[in-house]
Amino acid sequence: MDWRGLLCLALFAWGWEARAAEQSDPVSSVMWDYYHQRLLDSAAFTFDKRVQVLVPPFAEDARQVPIQIDARSLGARVKRLLVWAELNPIAQVVDFQPGEQVLPFLALRIRVEQATPIRAAVLTEDGLWHVGSARVDAAGGGCTAPSVVRAEAGWEERFGQVLGRRFRLEDSDRLRLQVAHPMDNGLVGGIPEFFIEQAELRDASGQRLASLELFPSVSENPTLSFELREAQGAELWLRDNNGNEFQAAF
Amino acid sequence: MRWMILCLALLAGSAQAELTYQLEPRQIAEDVWLVEGSTDNFGRDNGGFILNTGFIVTEYGVLVIDSGPSKRFGEALRAAIARVTDKPPILLILTHHHPDHALGNQAFSDVPIAALEGTRRLLAEQGEAMAENMYRLVGDWMRGTEVRLPTQTLEAGELDIGERRLRLLALSGHSGADLAIFDERSGVLFAGDLLFHQRALTTPGTPGLDVWLEDLARLQALPWQQIVPGHGPITRDAAPFVQMRDYLGWLDQVMRSGAERGAEMNELIRTPIPERFATISLSRYELIRSVSHLYPRYEHSVLQRIDQ
Repeated sequence: MDWRGLLCLALFAWGWEARAAEQSDPVSSVMWDYYHQRLLDSAAFTFDKRVQVLVPPFAEDARQVPIQIDARSLGARVKRLLVWAELNPIAQVVDFQPGEQVLPFLALRIRVEQATPIRAAVLTEDGLWHVGSARVDAAGGGCTAPSVVRAEAGWEERFGQVLGRRFRLEDSDRLRLQVAHPMDNGLVGGIPEFFIEQAELRDASGQRLASLELFPSVSENPTLSFELREAQGAELWLRDNNGNEFQAAF
Repeated sequence: MRWMILCLALLAGSAQAELTYQLEPRQIAEDVWLVEGSTDNFGRDNGGFILNTGFIVTEYGVLVIDSGPSKRFGEALRAAIARVTDKPPILLILTHHHPDHALGNQAFSDVPIAALEGTRRLLAEQGEAMAENMYRLVGDWMRGTEVRLPTQTLEAGELDIGERRLRLLALSGHSGADLAIFDERSGVLFAGDLLFHQRALTTPGTPGLDVWLEDLARLQALPWQQIVPGHGPITRDAAPFVQMRDYLGWLDQVMRSGAERGAEMNELIRTPIPERFATISLSRYELIRSVSHLYPRYEHSVLQRIDQ
């Protein structure tokens, strides 16, 4: 390579650096600035691939789109984890605050109204938001489709039932559960909002391990998965916006 | 000057963009014809011509099997039939209600359209939404397409058309209501989407992979000479059955073992596709869909009541 080639390369590298410094959005969303301001209060952030956001490339069922957030490769203590779908009528999905014993991991299913970027913003103890991004394609309509739960005979009897199980993984315990609840989001034919909005994971003595605020973009009959560092007893407490409380033990 | 040529070329290009299905019926047995589609996904390049349709020429007229993905396709199919026989269509039979098989019905509104009762019900329930999604997937090919429900109900058993006897099997493994048509004289089995060959099977509406496997056993026991799968190349041997069983077994095992170890959907859709399925078109895409359709059932079977 002669000097011109080298110069060219240097220019390219410099340009690349400059681009990276501007923090280009990996999913080029027009809504980023808005949510940065609204949900993160315009605080310091970095787009960070170590916040893994797993979604399917397309939503086969726009009412039940599985998303999975894993921020353990940050290797830092996580204080808060916010998830939202940028082009949804109800954008916010969850506000998760894991304690020391709970890994910065969360899996759940959401509704999407159209193809949308999905974000997970993870706040570490140093006050910096690490933002993971993904995009899911969709025919859409998941937020305004008629409830499947309410069309099932006898759903009222199953209301509030929790199915779950603990699974031993390599270096953690995964808790998976599903709660029978219609999670009405207020966008479907005259049915007002009726959804689980608060949850807490507690240890056997009732001490809080993690807390969770849920939004009605979470799918009906919500499925949730957490991971605990150690094989300790755990209980889950949930409350919906009508004051119904549910409890389950792993 | 150059820009003028460019403009002309562009104009010519857009004039050629007239959407036409190239349907070339191929004779696969005496009086039995196949119109073979690609094993691709729905796309703007193929207009949804991704299925196999066929027709049988009888002394009374032509029996058509599936009308295709759009009005335009149904019309093209009729024209293609007219190129190889002067007999008119007398009956359209639908193997099942999925959009690639049943949205060309408008072109056959002057003849009886026959299907299983379940097919009629499912098309009535889902037809509009499926047609809408097809507009999104293939675009202008769909212009003018509307759902037309079957006008006759078929049941399992024998159907005689002139000198021809067809054996009809009412099954359900793929879509909830699947009709397989066996032509006794030629030994051709039109399996509908109970058989996919070299193309990953699709699972929306399957009552369960175990039901599908039972249906396969019933089909394979027929004295067929030739198999027309709903998607993929036809064969004279049992290759599609072997591949289907292998693939269904794998799919079942992926989700069963996944549920047992507490896997998430997003982990399962990234499962490596075994080397032996490398020739099967769209297996990753269909795995993602199948996990969405079926994994909740597998999850349910391993979770227990834990509420207090």
